Amino acid sequence: MRALYLITKKNLKILLRSKASALIIIFAPLLIILLLGLSYNNSEQFGLNIGVYSSSFTEDVDSFVTILEEEEFTITKYDALESCIDEVKRGTTHTCIVLPESLQISGNGQKEIIFHIDPSKVNIVWMIQETVKEKFNIKSQEISQDLAQDVLTRVVNTKTKITEKNAEVNALKEKTSSATSTTNSVKSSLSKLDLAAPLTTYDVAALSSLTSGMETAIKKIEQAITAVDSSNMTSSKVAIKKPLQDALEELGGTNVTSTSLGGIITSLQTDLNSAKEKLVAASSAVKSSNTNLAAVSSALSESSTTLDSVQAGLNEVIANIEGQKVTEAGTLVSPLTTKIETVSEEGTFLSYLFPAILVLVIMFSSLLLGTTLVMMEKNSPAFLRNFFLPIRKMTFIISTYLTNLILIIFQIVIILGISLFFLKDAWSSLPTVALILFIAASVFTFLGMLIGYIFISEETAVLASISLGSVLLFISGTILPLEGISVMLRKFTYFNPFVIAEKLIREVFIFNTSLKVIWLDLVILIGYALILFIIILILESILHKHLMHRFMRHHHRAQRQKGKKNKNDA
Amino acid sequence: MELIRLKGVSKNYKKNKILQDVNLMLEAGDVLGVIGQSGSGKTTLLNLLVGFIEPTEGEIVYYSKVEGKEKDLNENLHKIKKHFGFTPQHNSFYPKLTVKENLIHFGKLYKIDKKTLENNITSLLEFTKLSKHHNKLAEHLSGGMQKRLDISCSLVHKPKILVLDEPTADLDPILQKEILHLLEEVNKQGISIVIASHHLEHIEQICNKVAIVHKGRVHSHGLIEDIKKPFLKDHFTINVHSGKEKESVLEKLKNLQFKKIIDKGHKLIIYPEHVKDTMNGLLNIINDEGLHFFDMDVRKPTLNEVFEKIALDDSEPKEEEQ
Repeated sequence: MRALYLITKKNLKILLRSKASALIIIFAPLLIILLLGLSYNNSEQFGLNIGVYSSSFTEDVDSFVTILEEEEFTITKYDALESCIDEVKRGTTHTCIVLPESLQISGNGQKEIIFHIDPSKVNIVWMIQETVKEKFNIKSQEISQDLAQDVLTRVVNTKTKITEKNAEVNALKEKTSSATSTTNSVKSSLSKLDLAAPLTTYDVAALSSLTSGMETAIKKIEQAITAVDSSNMTSSKVAIKKPLQDALEELGGTNVTSTSLGGIITSLQTDLNSAKEKLVAASSAVKSSNTNLAAVSSALSESSTTLDSVQAGLNEVIANIEGQKVTEAGTLVSPLTTKIETVSEEGTFLSYLFPAILVLVIMFSSLLLGTTLVMMEKNSPAFLRNFFLPIRKMTFIISTYLTNLILIIFQIVIILGISLFFLKDAWSSLPTVALILFIAASVFTFLGMLIGYIFISEETAVLASISLGSVLLFISGTILPLEGISVMLRKFTYFNPFVIAEKLIREVFIFNTSLKVIWLDLVILIGYALILFIIILILESILHKHLMHRFMRHHHRAQRQKGKKNKNDA
Repeated sequence: MELIRLKGVSKNYKKNKILQDVNLMLEAGDVLGVIGQSGSGKTTLLNLLVGFIEPTEGEIVYYSKVEGKEKDLNENLHKIKKHFGFTPQHNSFYPKLTVKENLIHFGKLYKIDKKTLENNITSLLEFTKLSKHHNKLAEHLSGGMQKRLDISCSLVHKPKILVLDEPTADLDPILQKEILHLLEEVNKQGISIVIASHHLEHIEQICNKVAIVHKGRVHSHGLIEDIKKPFLKDHFTINVHSGKEKESVLEKLKNLQFKKIIDKGHKLIIYPEHVKDTMNGLLNIINDEGLHFFDMDVRKPTLNEVFEKIALDDSEPKEEEQ
């Protein structure tokens, strides 16, 4: 038990006394946890960069864009669809949304919103799609709700109007009923009138003969009077004339009575009396009817007015209903439809993951090879001899880099060769991909070499390389999406050489982007390589003598101990 | 002709004074041995000499035969270092390369033309008796062969100065002899050699000059004979049979000039006034009187003895102080 304790204690002491080992073993995990903790300790929604294109940014489109911005999405408006899609390809934006000119629904047609997404971002593409779609669904629901509300308002208005007109119709109905009743009453009263003619047959010939005789007598008297007047008689004239005039007067005003006439006259009198009575009754009935009919007329006139009002009301209702443009249930329920379009041709998961796999392999190979080669040289027994060679330090560094590069190029050739078996269409992009890999390999090789120069023991240096590779991988978005990292830290991740290299290869490999477009990222990578090379040069010149001295001391001590041991053995 | 000179060179590591006020000179054809106790600063002195480290004070100058003027070593290191061959205590070659590959690699990096290099390598392989093993991986060679390869690597570019740190350490006596012989041969080719070693007998065997480093200072340096001079014995010892012979010798010695004679039974320790005169007188007496000596010991001090004396003399006051 004591031995166990002692050995463990010794192990810990040795580990902790080697500064680099202690740093790596104890602080590297802490550092990694701290980095990842800082990066992913974020409950906020994914801070997505969204590109928006619309042929015309109307007020309601703008208001919707503002809502998206408030949702912590970073919105960029584009005037051209192509540039919007290009930015998705370049990874600057996560999706390009094509919005209609207006989100207002004015007919049965649904408004289509198109999402352009990059399917090669397999670990986030669905998340982006769902997150953004969710916002559009909310907007769609909002619009749908407005449309339904509009329909309901129209229904309510129609109901109010109809209820209102219903009272008028009822009043009209009452009036019509009253008019009907009055009309019936008039009808009854008129039907009761006895307007039948007397059945008595009068001797009209006798009366005619009499009338004719009397007319003839009157004419003859008038002729006699005229003859008297025209005669020369003076004295007898008056005497003659007088009786003639009297006769004339008499014929004119004399009641002719005879048996026939008397009867006729009596009958006439009776009939006339009867007729008189009937006429009185008729007159009364007509009078009454007249009054009733006047009332009916008035009622009908009122009814006509009411009907006009009802008709106007109905017209309003029709107009109100006709105002509802959306009549399709589908449009009402889903006024906005979303459509997903990919910015690249649909491919397999391998093709999507291929850029990340390539960079991953190159990164770890270069880092580890860089570190191992430097450590090999540093720990080589011949390290000291190199000091005497008339060779510049830069030559040693470049030769280490070239050695690494040859091995990496060999790996690249194998990987790309195998990849062609699976990805047959990749021929055209291979030269550019190889160039990017070459530059990326340079950056990672120099990083690995830098670690090799910093650390003393090979084990620690390799551990440091793996740790660095892991950190770069973790904050690359390959495993965990970068969109989960806080926005501030995310800015730094864009400077991660892994991210840059992976982005470049994705653009070339998947989108066939030309070098003209991606030159800036390439320059950044080359810049990294140059800076790292300069740092290595500076570090090497600072550390070289220290390394030589350490090397000498280490071997001198080892040799001395060996000598002592030999002596003791002897 | 002077090759290199250290002028008042000191080296400190933080507050530790490793070497102080070192003045040394190496001439063409010299074999300089640097001796000292462990931790005395020998390796630091070698490191300074070859430019691994820069002196804190003083300067190291290299005399350029071509330019006929002296140059500061550290300021012109890039030009000068090709004139050095350095064989450290441990082997300094690539174990995974063959003997020939190692030689070709270093030779080519010295920018030697192909033909010259081939000649150099052939003669080196013969010279170091590695011809038969030229295709063997260096790691598969024996200890002695590895040391020879290491020296070959240091000589492949024909340096002017060969610096060796403990070249015979870890080797068995036969291999040690081999290496010493090899170094003698190297020196015969006109290459100056600086060797740091604990094996003082080896230093004494092959070096014409020595520098004794003690407690961070070069206690003494120069030709070995000159170094030894102050430590030459002031007495000689005669082993004699007891009895008449001894008494006769003592009687005759009375005629000689000596300070004192100590009788230790079979041993007489004579402290003469003048060693040479007394020695000659003593030999005359022996010759004239036909005396028979059992044994006589008159010898110069070894380098080891000189070094021990220096080390002990220096440590005694300390002990007294203690």
